[in-house]
Amino acid sequence: MGTRILTVEDDERIRTAVKLALEDEGWSVEEADTGEEALNAFQRQPADVVLIDIMLPGIDGFDVCRAIRRVSDVPIVMVTARADTHDVVAGLEAGADDYLTKPFAPKELSARIRALLRRVRSGDSGSTHLRFGDLEVIPEEGVVRREGKEVHLTKTEFRLLVELASSPGRVFSRETLLERVWGYGYFGDGRLVDVHVRRLRTKIEADPANPRHVVTVRGLGYKLQA
Amino acid sequence: MTRLLLPKMGLRARITIAFAVGALLMSAVLAVATLGLTRQNLLDQRESSATARTYQNARTAEAMLPQQTAQANAPTFDPTDLLASIPTPTGSRPVLVLDGRGWARNPEFSYESLPEALRDKVLGGEAALMRFDHEGSTFLAVGVPLSGFDGAYFEVVSLAELESTLESIGISLLAAAILTTLAGAAVGWWAARRVLRPLRNISEAAHALATGRLETRVESSDDADLAPIADSFNEMASALEERIQRDAQFASNVSHELRSPLMTLAASIEVLENQRDDLPERSRAALDLMVADITRFQQLVEDLLEISRFDAGVMHLDLEDVRVDELVIQAVTSSTDVDVPVDIDSDLAGVVVKADKRRLSRVIANLLDNAAKYGEGATRVELRKVGDAVLIAVEDDGPGVPPEDREIIFYRFNRGTSAGHRRGIDGVGLGLSLVAEHIRLHGGSVWVEDRPDGKRGARFVIKLPAEAAEGAVVEA
Repeated sequence: MGTRILTVEDDERIRTAVKLALEDEGWSVEEADTGEEALNAFQRQPADVVLIDIMLPGIDGFDVCRAIRRVSDVPIVMVTARADTHDVVAGLEAGADDYLTKPFAPKELSARIRALLRRVRSGDSGSTHLRFGDLEVIPEEGVVRREGKEVHLTKTEFRLLVELASSPGRVFSRETLLERVWGYGYFGDGRLVDVHVRRLRTKIEADPANPRHVVTVRGLGYKLQA
Repeated sequence: MTRLLLPKMGLRARITIAFAVGALLMSAVLAVATLGLTRQNLLDQRESSATARTYQNARTAEAMLPQQTAQANAPTFDPTDLLASIPTPTGSRPVLVLDGRGWARNPEFSYESLPEALRDKVLGGEAALMRFDHEGSTFLAVGVPLSGFDGAYFEVVSLAELESTLESIGISLLAAAILTTLAGAAVGWWAARRVLRPLRNISEAAHALATGRLETRVESSDDADLAPIADSFNEMASALEERIQRDAQFASNVSHELRSPLMTLAASIEVLENQRDDLPERSRAALDLMVADITRFQQLVEDLLEISRFDAGVMHLDLEDVRVDELVIQAVTSSTDVDVPVDIDSDLAGVVVKADKRRLSRVIANLLDNAAKYGEGATRVELRKVGDAVLIAVEDDGPGVPPEDREIIFYRFNRGTSAGHRRGIDGVGLGLSLVAEHIRLHGGSVWVEDRPDGKRGARFVIKLPAEAAEGAVVEA
């Protein structure tokens, strides 16, 4: 079965045009024009990627995002009106993996979707069991355990962790992480990395306010340590 | 002189000078009066004591003279003995005159050295005193005629001590006058400052308004003289703010409303483009026109939105520490098809600026785009460190920008007089005004100049404040 995309957008014309463009990429698209309808549709049949416009009548995009996040680690792309408002950070904190600003070119959207659908790059050899103190990462199986208990990460959070775990102790700049995890170039939005690191910490750190594993290196980036 | 000078000086300077001059006049009058009175007082004292003593000594001399006059011609008589036996305080020099002959105890004050007017008056039978100068010092001479004799008794006292006392009092008074003048100037300066403070507040507020901080108001005052100024200033500011915000809101609303249909258009056209090869040739030509203009339209709406954000004062930069060399290289490579050489000053390695990465790259892209549209393409991008600033220059070899256009090309919808008439250029004249606004928000400046190598073409220069240079970022 092909990739299924759920788009939540209240403007019918935009929704239809985006659907047409995404179908040209060979994906099947399911439409929803309200948040409630989107949640129902997702419950009936989970999609592979969800595209959510923040400005929705009824329950807004943030709530839809949080509701889906509670039950699924599906990649979510937020559509915002502006890049320089709190909407972006709020959307990412609600659980979105990436965002786009209106008006976007459908080509840009498909590029983002493809980047999110990319599989986690498997480790080079058999060293698939990575240990960092109380933290255990198994890239092949997509499993992370803290003190032996499995931790549930979204696909993007997992990719970020595996990227950092590929060279423990090395400092990764935000640009590098943007490129390797999201497929952005130099001008990607560094807030994507910052918010995802924050989310990752709440899941894998004993004390997210004083992280031991994912450490900020001031002015340079982030690194993973035991 | 003062008429020529005063109008050029500020109010504060004038008030300060007025206070200083007032204080100077007052202290000068006081000093002169004090000095005069003191001098008179001391002199009177000196004169009366000298006069009293001279009378007394003259009587003593008279008493000593009679039994001696009988033997006046006797060789044993010597008035010098008489002078020596008369009690006088130190510094007092007695002189005796008898029958036209004078004797003095101190050789420097002979009878002849006394002023003639005094001698004549005293020998004429009248007691008198007189001040006179002798060998550079001032002296007081008192003369009393000797009754029953053809002679007189004089005493000469030096007034040098008195003069030096008066001199030191004079110096003290002068110092006091200078201090008073300075204090007057200080009080004047302070008072002027107090008086001008409300005006300065208003001027600062007006400046803040002019630089775009539209919410600026002055504090309303309790002072009946100042309250109307502050109130009417605030009224003006409110009216201005409301009007500018209405304009900005309108532009913003229009642009926002345009975005949804544009989004639909862009997506639909992309769908058509995917089928481009299946379209008849005429439809294909029409599609290409639409694609080009949709892109342009989108850019225009984005630029307008950006500008309305500036006008509404809601533009916020995502500032971070950015290595300027890296950013410029990335911006140049990601925005040009042709390779534009980037010359980087070696001083710039690791230099960091506080910048919004994406906006600054837009600025550089806009300058490159501008060079492509009006300057036949950028030929060189230069990056230099000058003092605490970083210069980013984009050069082209087009016709250049004439001096009279160098300011107005940064205005909205203005492409300069020469560029405006050229055909086939699809700019609307917002790019450079956005460049100027963004750079201003970054705390820098932007201008256009001739190429330094003297060749044809324009050179657009951005100047940004640099942070302290840091060590190069090394990825382990």
